[in-house]
Amino acid sequence: MRGSDNIHKTYHRNKTVTVMFICVAAFMVLIGRLVYLMVFQSEYYIEKAKELHERERTIKAARGRIIDANGEILADNKTVCTISVIHNQIEDPETVIKVLSEELGLSEEYVRGRVEKYSSIEKIKSNVDKSVGDAIRSYELPGVKVDEDYKRYYPYDSLASKVLGFTGGDNQGIIGLEVIYDEYLQGEAGRILTVTDAKGVEVSEDGEERIEPISGRDLYISLDMNIQSYATQLAVQTMETKQAKSVSIIVMNPQNGELMAMVNVPEFDLNNPYTLPDEAEEAGLSQEKRQELLNAMWRNGCINDTYEPGSTFKTVTAAAALEEGVVTVDDTFSCPGYVMVGDRRIRCHKIAGHGAENFVQATMNSCNPVFVTVGLRLGVDSFYKYFQRFGLLDKTGIDLPGEAKTIMHQKENIGQVELATISFGQSFQITPIQLAVTVASLVNGGRRVTPHFGLRAVSADGTDIQSFTWQVEENIVSEETSATMRYMLEQVVENGGGKNAYIEGYRIGGKTATSQTLPRGSGKYIASFIGFSPADEPSVLAVCIITHPQGTYYGGQIAAPVVKQLFENILPYLEKMDYNNRSGSDGSGS
Amino acid sequence: MAERALSRRKSNSAANYMDYSLLFIVIFLLGFGLIMVYSTSSYESNLQFDGDSAWYLRKQLWATIVGLAAMLVVANIPYHFWERFAVLGYIVSAVLIVLVIPFGRTSHGARRWIYIAGVSFQPAEAAKLCMILFLASMICRMGKKIRDRKGFYTVLAIPVPIALMLWKITNNMSSAIIVMGIAVLMLFVSCPDYKRFIFLALLTLAGAALIVFIIVKMAESGADELEFRGARILAWLDPEAFASGKGFQTLQGLYAIGSGGILGKGLGASKQKLGFIPEAQNDMIFSIICEELGLFGAIAVILMFIMLIWRFMIIANNAPDLFGALLVVGVLGHIAIQVILNIAVVTNTIPNTGISLPFISYGGTSVMFLLIEVGLVLSVARGIHLKDL
Repeated sequence: MRGSDNIHKTYHRNKTVTVMFICVAAFMVLIGRLVYLMVFQSEYYIEKAKELHERERTIKAARGRIIDANGEILADNKTVCTISVIHNQIEDPETVIKVLSEELGLSEEYVRGRVEKYSSIEKIKSNVDKSVGDAIRSYELPGVKVDEDYKRYYPYDSLASKVLGFTGGDNQGIIGLEVIYDEYLQGEAGRILTVTDAKGVEVSEDGEERIEPISGRDLYISLDMNIQSYATQLAVQTMETKQAKSVSIIVMNPQNGELMAMVNVPEFDLNNPYTLPDEAEEAGLSQEKRQELLNAMWRNGCINDTYEPGSTFKTVTAAAALEEGVVTVDDTFSCPGYVMVGDRRIRCHKIAGHGAENFVQATMNSCNPVFVTVGLRLGVDSFYKYFQRFGLLDKTGIDLPGEAKTIMHQKENIGQVELATISFGQSFQITPIQLAVTVASLVNGGRRVTPHFGLRAVSADGTDIQSFTWQVEENIVSEETSATMRYMLEQVVENGGGKNAYIEGYRIGGKTATSQTLPRGSGKYIASFIGFSPADEPSVLAVCIITHPQGTYYGGQIAAPVVKQLFENILPYLEKMDYNNRSGSDGSGS
Repeated sequence: MAERALSRRKSNSAANYMDYSLLFIVIFLLGFGLIMVYSTSSYESNLQFDGDSAWYLRKQLWATIVGLAAMLVVANIPYHFWERFAVLGYIVSAVLIVLVIPFGRTSHGARRWIYIAGVSFQPAEAAKLCMILFLASMICRMGKKIRDRKGFYTVLAIPVPIALMLWKITNNMSSAIIVMGIAVLMLFVSCPDYKRFIFLALLTLAGAALIVFIIVKMAESGADELEFRGARILAWLDPEAFASGKGFQTLQGLYAIGSGGILGKGLGASKQKLGFIPEAQNDMIFSIICEELGLFGAIAVILMFIMLIWRFMIIANNAPDLFGALLVVGVLGHIAIQVILNIAVVTNTIPNTGISLPFISYGGTSVMFLLIEVGLVLSVARGIHLKDL
């Protein structure tokens, strides 16, 4: 009834088998594709999917502390809270807005904007006091997260502000040691990973993956809180009595370059580093102008600024000339009150002239014509050679950011007049720290040290101690020259221009300087003094620089007494420390 | 009448064939499908229906039970019974598609469902079954005429109106492709010629390649309107560039597949089903199978489908007559095309088009009609006399 056409023929069967194999072939291609995706591309997609599924919250690592030579903590952390909201979990937005704006003292619109913003997590405010954070937590509002973290805290407010520096909101150093040692101090932030669904709702059964933060290392520095505070007091006092623009003091161990104090008054409050000293005037300032003022406030004059060193630089001229053998201590000179260089007449500060004097006396008198003569004897090539050997053309390598470079003539541009002015410390500029380090290496036996604060970085549990080593350049002058320098500079303090730094019972060496700042004739001066003690084997070296003092401006009269007062107080203190150390190692005292 | 008598004699001799292997494979796929529907839908269902995580599972379970009952009924009716409805079926499926216009329900941006008296129904599924029946009957009637050019193109033309209606009225291009694919496969089996089919295949491939080429060129030259139309193709070529638009579903599927790895995250442990792949229980269910059960699970599922197709082939080749064989080939074609296209889409082997995975994806109409088709195949299998094997 269906006729012969409804017959199942062999070719039908063959073709059905063909269809089957075409299908199997297609499946094989798809399996190949699956193998590619799930074996070879798997890692890529796992990573992508993880990014998609996990909401990440970071846990700040506790920043390492900064600890001074006596174990005083100069930079610490205190617990603060970060308040954030999770949009999808908020049940009662109005209450949340009300509570947060009240507790945090924020405007309602601001909080509303954050609460109503559709995002997985939105930060409302960070650096909130722990007590406020606890108060917010006690409301138990769904969708409001209170995360504790740390804020940098400086117990001594403005002490050594330009040395320590401060940190920004992301736990990063902004200036000072906080920048240089950032990698040690910072630690590693931890993370809380929460698995969420597509709407951002946490999937509870997967729980939280918590990667604990690693605390930063504690930084131990050579700065001595006691010396620093006393030096700061002296500097503030001097700045006020002399109506000066600023006063800087550096106290250093000349043997190894460890810095015990570095003062730059006015200092600023490290706990409020963005507050200008004259907040009242700040109102109408543009953002740029304000930033400019902040930068000026944060500036560390000892290393960021250069000045003409003046007569303190005669130490360098003397050392170079002695080393080169163009002068001996017994060479005699005659000072008529001026010296002719080419057709230029260079005056001595004593117009009548010092008359006949030997080289030691010339140094005590700080006699310009003698040093010009000696400088000319050296010649450009030798002088430049010693500049290089003393390290004056390089940075000191101090562990603070933004060290300024020496501003010096190109060698080929130095003529006789330039050479003459360089000889008594004018027509070029160096930083105060450069002067301190150079003089230190001339009196410590010829070892150019690297000035530094950092001693070691110690892990939070105290098990891993990483000590820093600092480069020392040996033999920049001979021991003999160094001894001569110590002798001459002690003479300066005992009988010469530095006698205001003399302390009975102590052997002190030093050199004064008074330099006029550019432009000449402005009547503005920088008075300075560099001193060290004991004169025969210096263990402490101090520089005092008074910028733009009113009234008397001679270094010997206003800067030398500051160093004297400093030494009067810290020399017994340092000796006592040594005594303690000795008795400590001997076991029982007395 | 003579045949019926013959058939009774055969059944009396108790040597009639029941393909338990096929039955087992289908039941396994259904069971596995229900587990995966629950796994993929429970999280969303829980949120959507207020704590009822089994909403989708229950609906699918009912459809499966009804489908199984329908399958058993159909399996026990000699398949020639349906031959008389072939023309009617063709007309009814056309009418049902047209009914989408007045009674249609829009869902996912397309009108594909008829919604009458609380029951939703997808005419495309019925159209596929009716097309198999109509073509099988038609080819048998044509006999040797199918071998000449006229017969060949007549058979090729028969599904075109239905396919066009599916495409244009219900905006369902994938069903249109499947209907055409079924027709081509049935024609291929019934026609001794190879050359014409190879030519047809090459022509299709060349056409597809040309379209892709034109779209890519146009997109490069910045034709906005075409970029919109061709976005699906462009998203296929570089899903990450269209991550928030046309490439979204594909990319999310790839994340699921890729993150499954060799052994998978374990049953129920998918993350992508937590709303990242919208309605993961539908067309994208295979990606979640990959994520949860890994490459092993995915290959196991593919092997089950290969076994299913192999059973269909055995039954087709032992069918008592051409009509039965063509019915089975039609069902084979339907299921094979749909599985291959689904996995190809999910793995981004071809451009995205909405095709569900037979027996596993959520969808009541689909599973019911698939089971009716399996019933037909079982009915054909019953006609096999064991002595013939």
